[in-house]
Amino acid sequence: MSRAGDELAFLSATDLAALVRRKEVSPVELVDLYLERIDQLDGRLRAFITVCPTEAREAARRAERALAAGDPAPLLGVPFAVKDQFDTKGIRTTLGSRILEAFVPDADATVVARLTAAGAILLGKLNLSEFALGGTVHFPSGQPRNPWNLAHHPGGSSGGSGVATAAALAAFTLGEDTGGSIRIPAAWCGTVGLRPTWGLVSRHGTFPASWSMDTAGPLARTVADAGLVLKLIAGQDPREPLTTRRPVPDYPAALTGDIRGLRVGVVRELTEGGGTEPEVRAAVLAAATLLGTLGALIEDVSLPLLPLAGATFMAVCDSEATTRQLGWLKTRPGDYDQGTRRRLLTASLLPTALYHQANRARALIRQQVLDALATHDLLLCPTMHAPASRIEREQDAVTSKDVAARRFFGHRSHTTPASLAGAPAISVPCGFSTTGLPIGLQLVGRPYDEARVLQVAHAYEQATDWHRHRPNPPVGSWGSSDSGCQLLAVRDP
Amino acid sequence: MEDLQESEVQAMGATLRLTMTREDLAEVTHRLNAFIEALLPLIELAADGPEPVPAPVDPDRAS
Repeated sequence: MSRAGDELAFLSATDLAALVRRKEVSPVELVDLYLERIDQLDGRLRAFITVCPTEAREAARRAERALAAGDPAPLLGVPFAVKDQFDTKGIRTTLGSRILEAFVPDADATVVARLTAAGAILLGKLNLSEFALGGTVHFPSGQPRNPWNLAHHPGGSSGGSGVATAAALAAFTLGEDTGGSIRIPAAWCGTVGLRPTWGLVSRHGTFPASWSMDTAGPLARTVADAGLVLKLIAGQDPREPLTTRRPVPDYPAALTGDIRGLRVGVVRELTEGGGTEPEVRAAVLAAATLLGTLGALIEDVSLPLLPLAGATFMAVCDSEATTRQLGWLKTRPGDYDQGTRRRLLTASLLPTALYHQANRARALIRQQVLDALATHDLLLCPTMHAPASRIEREQDAVTSKDVAARRFFGHRSHTTPASLAGAPAISVPCGFSTTGLPIGLQLVGRPYDEARVLQVAHAYEQATDWHRHRPNPPVGSWGSSDSGCQLLAVRDP
Repeated sequence: MEDLQESEVQAMGATLRLTMTREDLAEVTHRLNAFIEALLPLIELAADGPEPVPAPVDPDRAS
């Protein structure tokens, strides 16, 4: 990989699209550049499950012909990749599971179709926690690794999307967020990740985790890219009756840099409490202070029900997920990863009375979040309580109910409130830990007010340089002699 | 409230014809007890709050 190639690969999708339009770089050159990076880096990062070099090069040649014919498509020739949860015509869609390892859809998911119609070129399908549920112990396609430190988890469930975006294995990626699955890998890998309002983006052709909370959205290296991609994928889909009929705003036009007078509430329970580590708290409070210097009004907000969000979310999400999985759980239990199987078995045995209590709690938490957003333009808190955990910690056995509660509920309180409320939320880089791992700032907005979320995130991004930092993962594949990294004790199964 | 025992969880699983390994059963029992402990306090939440519709209602959808 050349230095010039690296510079090009790390450019934003917006900049790459402009270079293509000006014919300063060709779609074929861009596809070859990213395929070379995947070839050299993904042996260790394991961001991809399936790479599509033949199809991508064919699409690049078509894009060159379209460019010569004056095609104005906004992402013409820009390579992207998607979580292996979105259907792709003629390309296997595995959900990161042995159960679907041979499944080949006959049509694209709406979000994939909209991006390719906008000229973007699909490079391949990205690794994820099995069935987008989180908690996978052994990944069938290899353990995805954090590009900032390969011994650490990239977050999930859209882990491959976070890795590929941060390590510039694509110009941008798509993920799916039910309880944080876009925002967590964005925070842990040091990228931007946007969970849209529930109902804004079609989920047609997207395998469901939890139908009442699933959302598709972008992971990108800049806020502007996230806004551009959202503009292209949002809006009503006749094939998905739950999508909104609202017109899609021009999100990039909202990035004015002016946030004077906006009211931002710092959520006390998730910033001061929630097990938030001191260096995460310091980074997030420094971000709040910076927004204040840019003209926003920063205020303390208390949402006392939020500590219940993690368990409430898990009860609702897992119960919904199990309805789709129960048949396989009975007939093919050995084909699941042990973490997924035990999560689904637990949910299938959860008493109905408690499930309905969780639905009541969701309504109360949603109301509390929306009440706070009635008096504040945005809510602010850390995306996660801590930087990326070590991979082996995620693989530890669950030896007591206290361990289970800490791992499965306690650490989910930061991202799940927006999910329970159906509200949009973004994670943007806001610093690094003393160990060199990224920290994410989360901004939560009113439903369908993505423009405001992006506006404030962009103003913060432009006032800082966290998004300009790049990881430098080692070249090579597992088993090569030049590893020099600390992770060889955690080999793939 | 006393924790569920593995034998009770195994019986619950049998009602759905679910099979569990010994290791599955141990972990599922811990997970289920954690769920019950975390969710039981929800019974104390106000019963006259907003209706527990699964997804937020967008007023513009009806237009």
